[in-house]
Formats: sequence, C-alpha cells, structure tokens
Amino acid sequence: MRREQTLADRITGSAVWRSVVRHGYPDTQRNQALIIASNVFLHIHPVKIKRYATKVTYTFCLGGLSFFMFLVLVMTGVLLMFYYVPSTDLAYQSMQDIEASVTFGQLMRNMHRWSAQGMVIAVFLHMGRVFYTGSYKPPREFNWVIGVLLLVTTFLLSFTGYLLPWDQLSFWAVTVGTAIGGAAPLLGQYVNFLLVGDYQIGQNTLVRWYTLHVIFLPLIAAFLMAVHFWRIRKDGGISGPL
Amino acid sequence: MAELAERQPGQGYTPIDEAKRQRLLELVRGRAMARPTDLAEDEVMVWPSLVVVEAVSAVVFLLGLIVLSVLVNAPLTAHANPNQTPNPSKAPWYFLNLQELLLHMNAGLAGVIIPTIALVGIAAIPYIDRSPLGVGILGTSAKGRKIIAFTTVYTIIVQTVMVVLDEASDRQQFGLGAVLKDAGMPEIVYGQMLPSLIILGAIGVLMAMVQGIFRPTRREMIIALFTGFVVTYVMLTIFGTSFRGEGQELTMPWNLPLEHH
Ligand code: HEM
Repeated sequence: MRREQTLADRITGSAVWRSVVRHGYPDTQRNQALIIASNVFLHIHPVKIKRYATKVTYTFCLGGLSFFMFLVLVMTGVLLMFYYVPSTDLAYQSMQDIEASVTFGQLMRNMHRWSAQGMVIAVFLHMGRVFYTGSYKPPREFNWVIGVLLLVTTFLLSFTGYLLPWDQLSFWAVTVGTAIGGAAPLLGQYVNFLLVGDYQIGQNTLVRWYTLHVIFLPLIAAFLMAVHFWRIRKDGGISGPL
Repeated sequence: MAELAERQPGQGYTPIDEAKRQRLLELVRGRAMARPTDLAEDEVMVWPSLVVVEAVSAVVFLLGLIVLSVLVNAPLTAHANPNQTPNPSKAPWYFLNLQELLLHMNAGLAGVIIPTIALVGIAAIPYIDRSPLGVGILGTSAKGRKIIAFTTVYTIIVQTVMVVLDEASDRQQFGLGAVLKDAGMPEIVYGQMLPSLIILGAIGVLMAMVQGIFRPTRREMIIALFTGFVVTYVMLTIFGTSFRGEGQELTMPWNLPLEHH
C-alpha cells in the first residue's frame, strides 16, 4: 500500500526541514495560506486578495518595482562600500579602482547607477498611476502623504549619491544643487551650511553626504516603506473599482 | 456516482457481474480535481496568483538591468576641480526642471518656494478631493481622460511659448520685468511677484478653460491641475537636459557639449 519514499520526501520529512518550513507543498489552499502567513518576508501580503489587484495593467508593478530597485541598490551599494573611500583625496581613485581592478566592480557600479535613476522614474510614475486611478481617496489619504515623503527621500538618496564619485560632473552638479538650496528665503544661508558643512564643497561635504547616503536616508526610506506597506493592508488592500 | 444520480426512479439494481467487478488496488497520491474553497468569487490566493506576477516582473527587470549595465557604463569624468567650472554646469537631470525655472525668476522662488508649494499641494490632494467616485478607473471617466489630453496639449504649448519668449527677451519675464526694473521697482516686484503672477495666470487660464469646456467635478478639476504639474515637470526637464548649452543659452540637442548628450 505505501508509496516508496523518494529522497525529496525524506528531506522534506526530516526534523531539520520541518523546523524551518512549517507548511507542506503549496498545492492545497491550506498550504498556500500557510506559506504566506509563516514566512516573515511573504507575510507583508494577505493570504488572499481581490482578483483585480493582480492585474499588471492596473499597478504596472510600479510600486513593487520601486521597492525591488531599492533592494538592488542596497545590495550593489554594500558591495561598492567595500572599496569606496569617502575622502576627497581617495574617492576618485577608489572609483577608478572599482571600475578597473575589482571583479565585476564596473558591473556593480553600473547596476547601482542605472537602478538609482530607474527608481526615481519608477517612483514618479507610481505616483502618477496612484493619482490617475484615484487611489489616494479615503481611506488611503495618509498613505498618499507617506508616498510624497518617499518621493522626497528617493530624490535625496539619488542626489547624495551623485557627489560621491568626486569627479567634475558630481562636484559641479552639487555646487548647482546646493546653491539652489542656499537661495531659500531667510534660511538660505543656514540651509546652505547644513548641506555643505563648510564654506565651500570639500571633505566635510563629502563625509556628510556619504553618511546621509549610505545609512541615514536608506533607514528613513526603509522606515517609510514599512509604514507604506502596512498601510496598504490596513486600508483594505489595493484600491479597485467600487 | 453519476450513474446513481441518473438512474430513473423505480428502476431496480442490476445484479453485480462478478467478472467485471473491480477491486480497490491502490491509493495514489495526486491532485484532487476540486477542493472545497472559502475564496469569494472575485478573490484569488496570493500564492500563487500574486507571487508569480511579482517574481516574473522582478526577474524580467533584473535581466533588463544587467543587460543595460553590461552595455552602458556609468559616467566618470575628470577628477573634481573647484577651479575649473564646466560650461554649462548642470544639476542631476531630475533637478534640471528647477534649474530651468531658475533662469526665469528669483532663485529662492524657483528653487525653494515653488517646489515646496508643489509638494505640499500634492500631499494635500486627498484632503481636497474626498469623494470616492471613480476609484480604480484610469482617469476616472471618459471626460476625465479628455481633460488629461486637453491639459497635456495646453501645457506643452504654453510651456514652450513661455520659455522661448522669455529667452527672446533676455529672461526678463517677456520684457515686462525689464520695464518694471527700469521704473525703479525693487527685485521682489519683478523677480518674484511678476513671475508668480504669470504662473498663476497660466494656471488660471487652464482652470477657466477646463471649467468652460468640460464642466468638471472637483476630481476632474484636480486631474487637470495634476496633469498640468506633471507635463510642466517633464517639459522643464527636457528643456534643462537637452536644450541648454553654454551659458545656459537655448541650444539644439545636437549642439550640446559632448558630456551632456
Ligand atoms: C520608494 C517609493 C515607493 C515605494 C517602494 C512604493 C511601494 C508601493 C507598493 C508596492 C504599492 C502596492 C501597489 C502598487 O505596486 O502600485 C504601493 C501602493 C500605493 N502607493 Fe506607493 N510606493 C512608493 C512611493 C509612493 C508615492 C510617491 C506615492 C504618492 C505620492 C505613493 C502612494 C501610494 C498609494 C496611495 C498606494 C495605494 C494604492 C492603491 O491602493 O491602489 N507611493 N506603493
């Protein structure tokens, strides 16, 4: 009567496996529910959702892609940090090293650069999709506001990263950018000093922007995303036609 | 089972033919054809329905990104040199809309006040338009979609005319600024109040036209305003990236210095 045990059966039946994975093969609704509920990463999802929320032509995956690009940026960013030195003397040299002598260094840098720009575009388009489908309406008002903060954070992340290569392009782009901030009425002088950390762009600026770029702003972004995703669920999932 | 159900009432059992009788030989594990479900009509299980979409789009995107990154290298220009200002110096492309705006008015107005108002305005949208009408429908209604098209055309024309005209008048607010300046007015009048009025005027004309032509609901009017913002943002970015050459003069894209191509 008993079917012979395959190797796969033995592995998935073992005590070690069962201690890690608490659900069976997801071909029953019960297991499909368990796989979502018992996995810390998947459980940002509900177990079941409205059919229209899975339609690609509704969200165009833009929010999801923004998040995915953020993950790609974190991973490639950590790899770049192994080699990058935030000093005005060494930064440019370390960029050249990353490109010329680090295995896959150029590829990592390219992926980091292009997904940073892609994320700015994706987040902006995502805002457009949410707007044009009227998805900001109650009860989603607050999540829209969180979204605006995420948009600003994304811009800041991108801009702080722009200075790090310490080449002509980055130096002068940041000169222009901080001058814009410095034009703020009344507070201009203080805003400028806050951004530059000195009377001219130099070592202080680089350390400041590096710290913001690799730790402070990513933490802010992750924090806001946690709130954003939580609120999507608490607001009843993705919006849809009434 | 089906046979039992189909049997006419009154029809008796046929005696079992021992030769054709089947015995239960084995139980085989397999997929049941139908399972009891507590899914509502319009619901699906996240695993697999949504997780598959996410996984496929992540893989497609990652492949695209890797191909792009193999083919195109991130730029690395010469070592930073505070003594050598490139001409033109440009902010990253997503801030070039602000840099373009900056050419036409007071820097604080263009670089700080207008973006702040825009962001606060965008954040306030859900508190102004609270009706649940049109949720989940792209552009809300046929009328909403017409308003999007109308606003896009309006903004492209007005934006282009304003940039070119202002350039022709040496960025003196179509020459009006120069007149006020010569009349001895302070900077706040010609550098800040005048440009603000011109911008409000352009927005006002848009709203009046949309109101007159479409008789919009509040949601549809906000669609016009948001579309105006998005198109302006894109247009100014295009001007800033592709049409500004040395000394920030209007230039055709193919005449730009190489690193800005
Ligand atoms: C880093 C930036 C962002 C990330 C990673 C992100 C992520 C997401 C994701 C994954 C969703 C689920 C639906 C979808 O994919 O469209 C979503 C929905 C939503 N997002 Fe974002 N988002 C970001 C920025 C924004 C911005 C800038 C806004 C608006 C100003 C916004 C407002 C919303 C709203 C209101 C929803 C609910 C939409 C609905 O119920 O249909 N988000 N976001």
